[in-house]
Order: sequence, then structure tokens, then C-alpha cells
Amino acid sequence: MSYTMFSAFEFKRKDTYIHRLDPRTKMFMVIVFMVIALLFNNIIPLLITFIVTLIPISLAKSVKEWLNSLKGTTILLVFILVINSFVRDLNFAIAMVLRLMVLITAFSAFFLTTHPDDLAQALIQMKVPFDFAFALSMATRYVPTLAREAQTIMDAQMSRGLELQKGGLTQKIKNLIPLIIPLIVNSVRRALSIAESLESRAFGAIKKRTYLYQLKLKKSDALFIIFLTSYLLLMIYIKIHFPFTIWMEWKFPL
Amino acid sequence: MIETVDVWFTYPDGTTALRGVSLRIKDGESVAIMGENGAGKTTLVKHFNGLLKPEKGTVLVDGIDTRDTSVANLAKKVGLVFQNPDHQLFSSTVEEEVMFALKNLGFSREEIRDRVNWVLKFLDLEKYRERSPLSLSGGERKRVALASVLCVKPKILILDEPTIGQDAKQKRKLGNLLKKYQKEGNTVIVVTHDVEFASKYFKRIIVMAGGKIIADGPPNKVLTSLTILEESSLSPPQVTVLSYEIAKKVNAFPRDIVFFDELLQEIIARLRR
Repeated sequence: MSYTMFSAFEFKRKDTYIHRLDPRTKMFMVIVFMVIALLFNNIIPLLITFIVTLIPISLAKSVKEWLNSLKGTTILLVFILVINSFVRDLNFAIAMVLRLMVLITAFSAFFLTTHPDDLAQALIQMKVPFDFAFALSMATRYVPTLAREAQTIMDAQMSRGLELQKGGLTQKIKNLIPLIIPLIVNSVRRALSIAESLESRAFGAIKKRTYLYQLKLKKSDALFIIFLTSYLLLMIYIKIHFPFTIWMEWKFPL
Repeated sequence: MIETVDVWFTYPDGTTALRGVSLRIKDGESVAIMGENGAGKTTLVKHFNGLLKPEKGTVLVDGIDTRDTSVANLAKKVGLVFQNPDHQLFSSTVEEEVMFALKNLGFSREEIRDRVNWVLKFLDLEKYRERSPLSLSGGERKRVALASVLCVKPKILILDEPTIGQDAKQKRKLGNLLKKYQKEGNTVIVVTHDVEFASKYFKRIIVMAGGKIIADGPPNKVLTSLTILEESSLSPPQVTVLSYEIAKKVNAFPRDIVFFDELLQEIIARLRR
């Protein structure tokens, strides 16, 4: 379960329009979708935005991976739906589910199509200090490794008769100890050995680094940015002039 | 007894690891499953204790379909020791580590004490009883991981790559222990790349490649066939290499030798002639 969920955010090398975009363009994409998702809490505009987020996903030929990410978050989505239905009403609950789906889709479109190294390079060119950019790209790089390791640990402990679902709440929390301890111990061990291998390759020996690759915004980036900006402006316009677009406030008659 | 019938398995990321595996392992057998990386060996043994369920086909353990039971239930019968001990050691002492499986499977207090004593003695770990398993060396950690599964006394014991990181002496000890355990009427299955280890301690060799079984038989049939070895990226045992070299020069010298004693007798017999 955990593995499929993380695989949805793991970079997959493909050659598509979206994969070739500059990471900065894709960062802009995530921000645009985030702003729009937070701007509205009505079903229709969020539904439209959700459909729009599917454009980069389908252009990137990553529908299957994206579906996995949704599958992995089903429990969370159902949880949000139920809680919000009780606290507010069904319409608001559906809107909140759509909002989360927009966010998941935007982030999964970013991480599925952006190589961690390119992400680091983009950050460096955005004046983020190299050490931070490097640490971030390392962290993204190790998410799937960690997920796979968690799965193996779970398998190993289940082979020794561990039943995760057994017992009451306290017992269930206790059941996690045999999973968490090996995971932490291995992570610390791995971190130490990564540090050693970095140092043995003269990490940080020279303050000012040079870079083999430089990211440049291309025509295709400009095109995508124009598309995103116009969509953002349109949605802001709709938000301000809500009276003119009353159909945007459509609700399920309850 | 383990029986698999036309088992297929595909991981969520789309790689098909098993493509129609059918085999039968009877009680009391000693089996080494070999093959190159990604051949599907680990995937196959994870089917034996129900961690993975076949996508097509069936896996029967003592006649019970693994789909109809839980991993915890099967753990009483089938013990699986993982390749990396660090994926399972978590307790503060070796003793507690060994007790974990026994407690999970609901053994009585006396039974737990007896089994812990037995397994620590069997694997020569008594001196580490109160030590933290995490502070032990790699080879010792591997033995503690084995102890933590062996304590259940499973009828079927499976080890994934048990010889990695073990020195020659430890390997010999491990081989003899597994042989002893098998002689007591239990099934022992290993997944390994180690041709010498497999030929020395196991009576049946199963070779996998590309998710299929490409050879199955005694070491002197399987590990001396150059076509099988080539197809599975294995190197022949040193004794076999030597007998091949001799056979090039000496007429009618047998090529299917895997054991040192066998080779020695063959040479002596020819010298006497």
C-alpha cells in the first residue's frame, strides 16, 4: 500500500512536453493551481480546475502513476468527505475533496516529471544556497528508497507473526515499534555513509561551484506560462465578479 | 509440502517477476534456488509464506491455499529469514529479539523460555543474550535474524541470501546447521548466488531466469551444464571447472563432478589404472 502511494510521486524518465519543461515553469504551475484551489470553496470552479490539472498529467503520459497517487490517498479523501459532511454540509465536503485532489494532482505532476537534480539546479539558479538545494534534492531522491525499505521491514516483521491490525488502539500503536525502529536505525546508518562518501568525493572543498548544465527557459516554457497565467487571471476575475457568474455557485440541492 | 501451480506475479510498478512457475517441494527436502539478479527468486519465496499472493495460479502450503490464510498463520509453518538483518532487528537485547515471534504466535511462557534457550545454543549466540542486537557485527546480526525465525521451529525454513557477508568459517557453520535442521525432518530452502555453498549443502538446485524455472535437479546435473549456467549468469563450482579442464586433456573424464571427494576418487582411480 505505502509503496504504490509513494511511487506516484517518484520521478519517471519519459520524453514528453511536460518532462522537458523547465522545473521553474512546473513550480509556477504548482503555485498557480495551489492559489486557485485555495481561492474557491465551490464545487464548479474546483471541478473545472481539477479537469485542467489533468492536462499536464495526460500530456506527461502519467495517468497510471497519477491514478496510483489518488488510490493511495483514498482513505484520506473519504475521511475529509465524512468529517466535512458532519461539520458543514455535503457540498462543502465535496468541494474540499476536490481541493485536495487538485493539490495532489499538481504536486504529482511536478514530482513525476521533474528529476531531483533538475529541481536542485532550478533552486540554485533561483539563488537558493547550494547546500540547501542539494539537501532537498537528496531528500526527494530518498523518498522512494525509504518507502521500499518500509515495505521490506513490514514484510520481514509480518513473517515473524506481527499482525498490524490486531488489538485495540494502544496495541496498534505498539505494533508500529518493530517497523519504526529498524527504519530509523537504517536511515541514520545510511545518512552517515552518505556523508562519508560525499566527503571522500571532496564535497564542499570549493566555496564557489561551477555547473555543467544551466537551465534556460524555452519557447515551450513561455507557452505553458502564458496558458497558466491566463487561466489564473480568468479564475481571479471570476472570483471578483461572482454575481456575473452565478452558475459557478451551483450546489447539490439538499 | 509446498506446491505452486502456474504462478504469475506482477509488481505494482509493472515488472512481471514470475511467469508461470510450477514446482513441488516435499517435506524434508533441501533446496537451493539460484539465478541472476531479478530472476524472481525472492518474489517466489515471498509466495511461500503468503506475503505475496499469486496474480494467477495457486500456491498451496500443506494443501492450504495461501489466499485463504494470513501471513501470521503461515508463520507457524513457514519461516522466512530476510536478506538484510537490519530490516528486522529492533529489540534492546538478543533474547527479546528472539522472543518477538514466539510472543506473536502465542506460545506459553515455558515454551518461549525453552525455545529461546534452544535456539541461542543451536546458533551459538548464548554469549550475546543480553547484548543489543544492533551493536553486533554484520555476521552476528545475520545469525540473530536467523535465530528470531528459527525459534518457531518452522517445518519449512527459507533463507534469502544467507551467505552474503559471512566468512568461510561462518558459511561452513551455517551450512552444517542447516543440514542438521533438515535431517530432523524439516524442509530447508535457500535463495543464493553462492554456487559452492549450494552444491555443498543442498540436494536439489532450482535455477530461475526471467521469472521462470529453467532447471531443476541435483547439483551434478544442474551446476555442470554450461548452457544452464550461461543462461542464469552463474559460474560453475571450482571442482567442476577443474574437471572440465582435465576432460579436455584426458579421454572420457567425466564432466559432471561437483564434489571435491568425487573428483579426488576419480583421479586416484585413474592413476591406479
